[in-house]
Amino acid sequence: MTSARHNRADRHAVVLVGNPNVGKSSLFSALTGARQKIANFPGVTVEAKLGTTRFENTELSVIDLPGTYSLAARSPDERVAIDALLGRLEEVPAPDGVVLVLDASSLDRNLYLGTQVLEFGLPAVVALTMVDVALSRGIRVDTARLSQALGVPVVEVNVPQGRGVEELKSTIHRVLHHPGKALELPFPAEFRQAVDGLYGVLCDLSVDLGFKPTRPEAMRLLVDLGGPLHDEVRQAGGQAFDTKLAEFRARAADGRGLALVEANARYGQIAAWMREARQVSAPEGRTLTDRVDAVLTHKVWGSLVFVVVMGLVFQSIYAWAEPLMNAIEGAFGWLGGTVAGWLPEDAAMLRSLVEDGVIGGVGGVLVFLPQILFLFLFIAILEDLGYMSRAAFLMDRIMARFGLSGRSFIPLLSSFACAIPGVMGTRVIEDRNTRLTTVFLAPFMSCSARLPVYTLMIGAFVPKQTVLGFLGLQGLVLFAMYWVGVLAAIPTALVLKKGILRSRVTPFLMEMPSYKLPRPRNIARVLYERGGSFVKRAGTIILAVSIIVWAALWFPRSDDITRAHEQRREAARAGHAATLAAAAEAWRQGMTGPELEADPAVAAALADMRELEATDKAARDRDETEFGHDETALAEAQRAGRAAYESSLLELRRRHRGALSPAMQMLAAEQELEEGLAAIDNDEAAAHAENSWLGRAGHVIEPAVRPLGWDWRIGMAAIASFPAREVIVGTLGTIFSLGDVDEQDEGLRGALRNARDRDGSPLFTLATGLSVMVFFALCCQCAATLAVMRRETNSWKWPAASFFYMTTLAYLGALMTYQVAHALGG
Amino acid sequence: MAATLAQLKPGQSARVTDVRGDPVLQQRILEMGILPGTDIRLVRVAPLGDPMEFAVLGYNISLRKSEAECVCVETA
Repeated sequence: MTSARHNRADRHAVVLVGNPNVGKSSLFSALTGARQKIANFPGVTVEAKLGTTRFENTELSVIDLPGTYSLAARSPDERVAIDALLGRLEEVPAPDGVVLVLDASSLDRNLYLGTQVLEFGLPAVVALTMVDVALSRGIRVDTARLSQALGVPVVEVNVPQGRGVEELKSTIHRVLHHPGKALELPFPAEFRQAVDGLYGVLCDLSVDLGFKPTRPEAMRLLVDLGGPLHDEVRQAGGQAFDTKLAEFRARAADGRGLALVEANARYGQIAAWMREARQVSAPEGRTLTDRVDAVLTHKVWGSLVFVVVMGLVFQSIYAWAEPLMNAIEGAFGWLGGTVAGWLPEDAAMLRSLVEDGVIGGVGGVLVFLPQILFLFLFIAILEDLGYMSRAAFLMDRIMARFGLSGRSFIPLLSSFACAIPGVMGTRVIEDRNTRLTTVFLAPFMSCSARLPVYTLMIGAFVPKQTVLGFLGLQGLVLFAMYWVGVLAAIPTALVLKKGILRSRVTPFLMEMPSYKLPRPRNIARVLYERGGSFVKRAGTIILAVSIIVWAALWFPRSDDITRAHEQRREAARAGHAATLAAAAEAWRQGMTGPELEADPAVAAALADMRELEATDKAARDRDETEFGHDETALAEAQRAGRAAYESSLLELRRRHRGALSPAMQMLAAEQELEEGLAAIDNDEAAAHAENSWLGRAGHVIEPAVRPLGWDWRIGMAAIASFPAREVIVGTLGTIFSLGDVDEQDEGLRGALRNARDRDGSPLFTLATGLSVMVFFALCCQCAATLAVMRRETNSWKWPAASFFYMTTLAYLGALMTYQVAHALGG
Repeated sequence: MAATLAQLKPGQSARVTDVRGDPVLQQRILEMGILPGTDIRLVRVAPLGDPMEFAVLGYNISLRKSEAECVCVETA
């Protein structure tokens, strides 16, 4: 936030650092309010949040980082914390100070990270959270002594009750005006000397490194094996550096693991501080969390609750979101039609662009919001509650077999409804490789957009039979389609985890936080962030793709096709006009013929008609008639009058069929014209579609899709479905000259069944239907999913890999399905 | 063979004597406060037999069985 009124001295930045589940995000919101910016970094799947707050005349930027247990960085994600502390992140201001958020109920573990952070020597304040939780367990923290031990001020903060936030601000303001002092822990002398020596080596390399190294980084380099920092330093220092590093490690280690030396020194010092600054008055009994867990992680009850909760999550995305999605689609359909109606009649392209490209595209983005919001509503509640860790605890055994973790379960389950919330939901997975694997697997789960394809193909090609006496064959095929994705995902997961995403080990090590009541403000914030982030970041890509597809279906617009169909329409209208004129003439002559005049039935009918007119008039102005206010009598009279008139008309028609038939012809001609024009419209749309770039692409790829049992029309529909798979139904409807259809449409099913090859044999068979379904089950035909993957992994690499891998797999799967089914006589 | 965390019975406490295994895993376990000299208690085992939940330093942590096997303990 740049403001002309403030000079540099009045603007500061602080970074919030702490373990996960300590209330850091709540504190961030309490400090900065609703206005925040999200910063992403290349190659990193985590993000930092930026907000601002004021204290007196100072504008304070606050940086919130993902929670972490340690500054040891083995992946780019874990390095974000160190880089943020050192001000090395783009888009994020260099911090002038640190707010260390510590959970009073588990201070020892919190202080492990705390000591690492305080070694950086930035001015620091401790925000002590969860004091009430600690007290309820008989843990009393003496903030004055803790402050003395750490050498920085300690402020108790209770965000839900709004206590301590102002004091924290004023304390930050105070410490920022004094230089910080780096904490020094009593590491063994050899260890300290090795860090100093390595620090010296790093400083000599600083020109090649491109940044000024710090002593804490030297310590990380000494202790941590591998990781991004080591890679960078090795690039600058080469083999010689590795030799030196090995020497320092050998000297510092003293025969023991360096990680153990570090942990011993830190936890030793922490234990000493805690003896002074903490009193545990009551022996630890069974806490509320323990008692709740006895049920929620119980073999029977826990599994039952789990199934119910997961059922609820799935139901919400699959079913509850649907009316909202339909409403959004309906609203945008109406809006598109209305806006297009305002545009000039002859600007067909502009109308189509606005209606189908832009407004349709925006609707296509927003339609996903209900599912995303429902999933994140549950995730936010379950995460706040602490249940996410329990769900992961219950499911880990099963997911671990596929190289995933228990936390992968909810994202993958959600993906059966829609991969978009599923991919976004992977942020609950802490480990980077597990998260990337889960992101990659999400689109394999059969989402609800594949259902129309299955419904259409099954309805058209799978006979309505029962097998084994009670199982419907159609239902069985549908069930099998859901398994196709899962069965393809399992080997994919194993290959990914053993190959590309192999890390030496992926520690599971999950904290089981104590249960807490969810806070509505927290949940509202998560929904706002996730929804906004989807619309802003993924939405633009989806909109762009929707306009591209529109263009590929529109261009090159052939005037010949338009003109030819316009001529057909003219001809139809002219034919209609001629029919009408002839019928009208016949009608006029028939009615005035002598035969009619002589017939008393005509006079009778006319009398009945006048009678009815009178009664109807009486009904209109009822005061002036014999009926007065007698509603029943009036209605009775009207009914009698209508019946009399009808019967005399029928009599008339019986006697003079010939004279009245021209009137019937006129009516029939009206309907004929209407149907004829609609058919021409559909033919024109089909002709334009075939002539469009997409249609031509369909013809071009026909040799490639023939082995799948497809022709150019299915090929084209499949290409058109790459941005959004459900598009296939509408595209097939257009190309088969059926206009707007849905997957239940018998016309479309019939058209598919009746399509003939050049030799007159059926073009599509059961084998074709199965091959199309397998293709759609395995293919990542969803621009929105790819856009969200890009957003969540912060790189195009993953969506690109997913797209190519799944397309290849889909092609091979469909090929195999067709060839096998065809050979078996399908 | 020394006892490991994986062999504890639910409710049973022990004192950590050593952390072994892959260096990265070792470091993670140590960072979480599970280091020689620390008291640790097995709270419960997941219904499918894995992972296991432990209480250490005033908080609860779950480890996979394979991870628990890396932590050597002595029982009182």
